[in-house]
Amino acid sequence: MQPAISVENLSVQYRTKRGEVFDAVKDLSFSVQPGEVVGFLGPNGAGKSSTLKALMGFVEPKAGKAQIFGLQAGTPESRASIGYLPEVAMYYPFLTPVETLQMYGELQGLKGKDLRVQIDELLQVLGIAQAAKKLNRSLSKGMLQRVGIAQSLLGSPKLLVLDEVTSGLDPVGRKELRHLLRDRQERGATLFFSSHELAEVDMLCDRIILINKGRFVEERNVGVLKDELRMFTLEYLGITSLVGLTDEWSEIGPNRFFAKFQSKAAMLEAIGRIQLAGGRIVDIASAEGSLEDYFVNTVEVAA
Amino acid sequence: MKIATLKALARSVVLESLRRKDLWVVAILGFLIILAAGTLGFFGFDGLQVFAKDLAVTVVGLFSTIIAVLTSFRLIPDEIRNRTLYPLLSRPISRIELLVGKLIGSIVVTWMSFIILCGLTAIALEIFQVQFTVIMLQYVLMKMLGLAVVCSISMAMSIYLTPNAAATLAFIIAFGAPMITRALTMSAPTVDVGTRTLYSVLNGVLPQTQLFDLGGRAVYPNWSPVPIWILGFLLAYAVVYSSAMLGLGWLKFRKQAI
Repeated sequence: MQPAISVENLSVQYRTKRGEVFDAVKDLSFSVQPGEVVGFLGPNGAGKSSTLKALMGFVEPKAGKAQIFGLQAGTPESRASIGYLPEVAMYYPFLTPVETLQMYGELQGLKGKDLRVQIDELLQVLGIAQAAKKLNRSLSKGMLQRVGIAQSLLGSPKLLVLDEVTSGLDPVGRKELRHLLRDRQERGATLFFSSHELAEVDMLCDRIILINKGRFVEERNVGVLKDELRMFTLEYLGITSLVGLTDEWSEIGPNRFFAKFQSKAAMLEAIGRIQLAGGRIVDIASAEGSLEDYFVNTVEVAA
Repeated sequence: MKIATLKALARSVVLESLRRKDLWVVAILGFLIILAAGTLGFFGFDGLQVFAKDLAVTVVGLFSTIIAVLTSFRLIPDEIRNRTLYPLLSRPISRIELLVGKLIGSIVVTWMSFIILCGLTAIALEIFQVQFTVIMLQYVLMKMLGLAVVCSISMAMSIYLTPNAAATLAFIIAFGAPMITRALTMSAPTVDVGTRTLYSVLNGVLPQTQLFDLGGRAVYPNWSPVPIWILGFLLAYAVVYSSAMLGLGWLKFRKQAI
């Protein structure tokens, strides 16, 4: 089966107004399989938007190649299967959301009743039915973002490329959007999105791809990563050596200690040792690790 | 090139332009000028008719050319600046389709404004009991072709230059080309062969917009209608020149990073 996205040694260069050339993306390779939900992460200026622009054909790669379902990225044929939401997009201020969606639908090749049904459905699902006939210029940023999301979903694309999808949405909107995207995934769509909202990435993604300064840093399965980042803590009475099990150990009161473990197995072994030594367990806890810490640490190491 | 794509793009240009209302201001202003000037009864009845027609043709020509430039010079730069181009080009359409759709939209808006101006002018001229002739209809049709050429020039310039520079150059070409081409033609016999060749090239590159202006014939009586074959030739010239301008714009726009 063809990958939904295949990027091989992609490089994107820009020229500044002073004529200086800089690499926004350098020798980047990754792939996304059909049906996956992949988060594309990186700090500001990492090259995320440039990569997405190369996938959409908005910029010409300096080197390397990008393919969408086996077709050269950036061609009208490859874009036929993509729903794209740009990071910051305006929609024609003097058109209404219905007219906007009708135009994009027609450009997508939809027409007649099929298009009308899809527009009505999206307006309802995204909560913009009330504003359907107001001019775009009178809509709030959040409502415009919903119009943008609606246009990206027109025609039920096989691949959704979303740049900062939750930008401008309130918490209710974000939750609704998550449901909508999950629904699309269940219907077989592939989701590839860049985001700064690590909580969204956490809740939606199967896998993340991390880039920095235009270069690939690493890719991780989110489930495995979260397991790795999970922290186990133990509070106990009585001195017991936990050497080899943890480095994070401290005395928090008279004869009272606190220890942090990277794995459940290490914590269970520590409990065994404490009990053997006559100590007493006071509290056991497990906490999810922070994707933010992982993100910051990994980017710092890569920098 | 898909018709549905071009239609969808052109319709959005027309809707946006009409709702902006700035075109209506130009149309109303033109009408008021014609009406106000027409009320001056400085001349005898015969002279007044010619004066009113002359003024009408001048004002309609001037304002419709301004509308043509204004509707087309900011289409593509605005799309880039406002980032409306991203969701557009994320659709399965090519960049040439985008340019053609936008150009058609701007031509339709210009033609609509021109026809409104002509309608208002016709009402104003009716006051002076001006007889409508075949050549007046030919004037309208040829002017529409000339305006399409101006739209294509303005849009092509806007891809290479800043919007303000593009508008300025488009105005200079639209209003100045007839003078320049006439000067080139008149001075050609007096220069050496090399310069004459250069003049010929310049004459070919510059749009012959004066060919589309039948205003002089429409104003003064006793002019017979222009033969159909000439109108056909002008139609072909307009199509070829506009296509060349479109091609010129596309040369840069097809690979332009956005």
